[in-house]
Amino acid sequence: MAYQVLARKWRPKTFAQLVGQEHVIKALSNAFANERLHHAYLLTGTRGVGKTTIARIMAKALNCETGITAEPCGVCAACTQIDAGRFVDLLEIDAASNTGIDNIREVLDNAQYAPTAGRFKVYIIDEVHMLSKSAFNAMLKTLEEPPGHVKFILATTDPQKVPITVLSRCLQFSLRQMTPQQVSGHLHKVLDAEQIAFEPGALPILGHAANGSMRDALSLLDQAIAYGAGKVEEAGVRAMLGAVDQGYLFELLNALLARDGAALLATADSIAGRGLSFEAALGELSHLLQQIAVAQMVPGALADDLPAREAIMVLAAAMSPEDAQLYYQITLHGRRDLPLAPDEYAGFTMTLLRMLAFAPSDAVTLAQLPKPAAGDTGTPAPSSRHVAPQAAAPQPVVTAAAVAAPVPVPVPVPVPVPVPVPVPVPVPATSVASLPQDVPPWEEAQPATEPAPRAPYPDETASAEPPAPITVALFDGDWRALVVQLKLGAAGMLAQNAELTNWSKDHFELLVADAHRAVATRDFQDKLRDALSQHFDRPIQLHVQLGDAGGDTPAAQLLREKEQRQGEAEAEIQNDPFVQTLVRDFDATVLPDSIKPL
Amino acid sequence: MSDYSLYPWQSEPWRALTANLARLPHALLLTGAAGIGKRRFAERLAASLLCESADRSAAPCGVCDGCRWFAAGNHPDFRVLAPQDADDEPAEDAKPAKKKSALITVDDIRELGDFVNLTAHRGGSRITLVYPAEAMNTAAANAFLKTLEEPPAGARFILVSHQWRRLLPTIRSRCRIFPLPTPAPELAARWLGEQGVVNPQLHLAHSGGAPLAALDDASAEWLPWRTKLLDALANPGGLDVIGLAAEYDRAKVEMTLIVDWLQKWVHDLVAFSMAGKVRYYPDRSEALARLAPRAAQLPRYAERLIDARRLASHPLNARLNIEALLYDYLAALKGAALKGERQ
Repeated sequence: MAYQVLARKWRPKTFAQLVGQEHVIKALSNAFANERLHHAYLLTGTRGVGKTTIARIMAKALNCETGITAEPCGVCAACTQIDAGRFVDLLEIDAASNTGIDNIREVLDNAQYAPTAGRFKVYIIDEVHMLSKSAFNAMLKTLEEPPGHVKFILATTDPQKVPITVLSRCLQFSLRQMTPQQVSGHLHKVLDAEQIAFEPGALPILGHAANGSMRDALSLLDQAIAYGAGKVEEAGVRAMLGAVDQGYLFELLNALLARDGAALLATADSIAGRGLSFEAALGELSHLLQQIAVAQMVPGALADDLPAREAIMVLAAAMSPEDAQLYYQITLHGRRDLPLAPDEYAGFTMTLLRMLAFAPSDAVTLAQLPKPAAGDTGTPAPSSRHVAPQAAAPQPVVTAAAVAAPVPVPVPVPVPVPVPVPVPVPVPATSVASLPQDVPPWEEAQPATEPAPRAPYPDETASAEPPAPITVALFDGDWRALVVQLKLGAAGMLAQNAELTNWSKDHFELLVADAHRAVATRDFQDKLRDALSQHFDRPIQLHVQLGDAGGDTPAAQLLREKEQRQGEAEAEIQNDPFVQTLVRDFDATVLPDSIKPL
Repeated sequence: MSDYSLYPWQSEPWRALTANLARLPHALLLTGAAGIGKRRFAERLAASLLCESADRSAAPCGVCDGCRWFAAGNHPDFRVLAPQDADDEPAEDAKPAKKKSALITVDDIRELGDFVNLTAHRGGSRITLVYPAEAMNTAAANAFLKTLEEPPAGARFILVSHQWRRLLPTIRSRCRIFPLPTPAPELAARWLGEQGVVNPQLHLAHSGGAPLAALDDASAEWLPWRTKLLDALANPGGLDVIGLAAEYDRAKVEMTLIVDWLQKWVHDLVAFSMAGKVRYYPDRSEALARLAPRAAQLPRYAERLIDARRLASHPLNARLNIEALLYDYLAALKGAALKGERQ
């Protein structure tokens, strides 16, 4: 009477009707044909790939009146009763509803009795991952050596939750996800049989959206038929899935590259206005970013017939690989967190704004990045830890010291801060308690914070960029200053840990300590060479040698300077008359670790 | 429950759904933002499926036995599965003595077995409404799977979900999804105006465009608490974290609400600082403009809030939780790294 959904109506009744899963079917068919039967099978795989279906077909194959066969007849009493779900010797147990040990005991108590009508008593235990631990354990003995007339078929989406003792007693088959082609091919057959008009272009879209599950595909097909009022049309399917036009994605990325927040939100608005799905948009965006990353690393790998190939190549050239990786990461997170946002629009825009906020701006070199944004690139940035709340000062310091001090062979020259006044904050709390610190920390910090966090934005950093490129003639061997000016990305690690031993007009020789062998990869060398060539506007030869470096690398210098400043700061604190008074009068102690140079 | 007329923005989806009532699946999943009238839509659908008059596709007739039973709220072939059966005893809502459980448990699902597996009282279909579907905990959802996939003839399920992505993929794949749209702002504002709301646009903005939530927004008990929180947030210099947290804890303001307000506020701040656009609190754009220059660390704080939202229904110490959130807010405005930051 009632309408039956396609997924139920088209549940396969024989092995031949199954789509995909050839590897399982072949093994099972051969086993049935040769009557080499295991007593316990475990079927695993994601939703809608055919676990329950295969289990039922196996029950038929075992009990068919024509004998144990890989091709159950489908007409005998046993087969028809199994299809109708009322065969007495097929016990389909919903393990998720009957999770407890008592339920399982009840089932197993009956296992010893011979089957009523069929050849075997078949227990299909579905969703077996929900059984309790004791229920699993209660099963073990029976599962290992059941009576000859009992067959177990367990099915689950989540084999990790099944105890290892159960796994080892079962013959496990893991079902694969279907490919979009298999799915759309099957949908084609179903639609033909149902005599429903459809546009062929719609099926691959459904096939992709089903994400490897046939039941999802058939549910979607049901939805599409209802949406299209009895027809399946490409445009209708797209609208139903909220598939996002790639044009929007390119708009988003262009706005990101232009650092144009308003344009970004305007595009988000137009996506919302068209009623498209934000989740699909994020999914497509991460897909596009993946393609961009591929285009950057392996340009040849991009299929030539990709419709948006041109646009992707343009973006790939405009975006740095680190940015692409970071954006990709953020979209993935954003998609995961979408259900936790106040609403989908907010979740989507927040993800976009986060990309805008965390993007390492080009002009900021690695050493200057705020720590968190650097995340996985592993910055050799010894100073950035202390940039944090109070001071915008250290940031310019690095550049100032490096650029303004043209020493031929850079011996650590510690003139880092114009006025190295140590902050009184690190004095231990015992002594500070009585100080008149009524000003809330908020007010105090305010003036300093304003410029600091905004540093990664283009308008500010653009001015920090050197106005004109330096030519080779002007290069005085100050490798460290040069490194600061290059746009290197991850290859900066090589530059930071290398010592310049020799250079000429178009030839640089670098020495890298053995300890830093890992950064001297081909990739980084090529990247550094390109950056140098670009900087001096002529082809530069780069020669990197591994060996015993003397420690004059920019990274080592930074470290030494930091230690030097630390020493000065500590000395300053120790010699401070106020601190000395505190130590003398209040028996205060200075914790050396808590002193930080400004 | 007697009123199940459609909201003005629902007539189009209703027509689309009922155009082919014969092809209606046994499991339907209604999705859409919270507060757009999904529940009433679902009840109307149930009513029209239970209606015994001949022509029922347009609307339940309202005069047959089925309709009258349904209207009285005791149709024997209709079940509502909601957290702690909040609807069976509406009187209890008046004085919330103990906190309502937010979950549909596995026992509820098991009890459902008898209802689904026996034939219908009236010989028609048996309808189960699950509201909201994401309230089922893991065990309940798993126990529901087999029933949902192949119920006995005549059993139908209507699942309603605000956040269908939180459902198990195995549940999702068994249902036909039917999305209900958020109404256009003009339509929603007009409807709110008809309900006697003074400033519809503002309340719509507060609720992100969902009209029923906006109606709630205009008259909810918690309004002063939100005003208070936003005042405090707008003025971080004088924010008394400890006192505020104690107050909210004493008043038992729900954690989900607080996190939601914070999230909306932070979203506005970030959006304003980067794109000059305010979504939720247009009435506070002045304060937003003042704070926007300090918003650089707030995207990170937004991640912190997402974590907080994930844990919002856990029985954690509310007071400590609020304190931590507010301190992190101050720290984020100052540009410092957060303590509770996730890796």
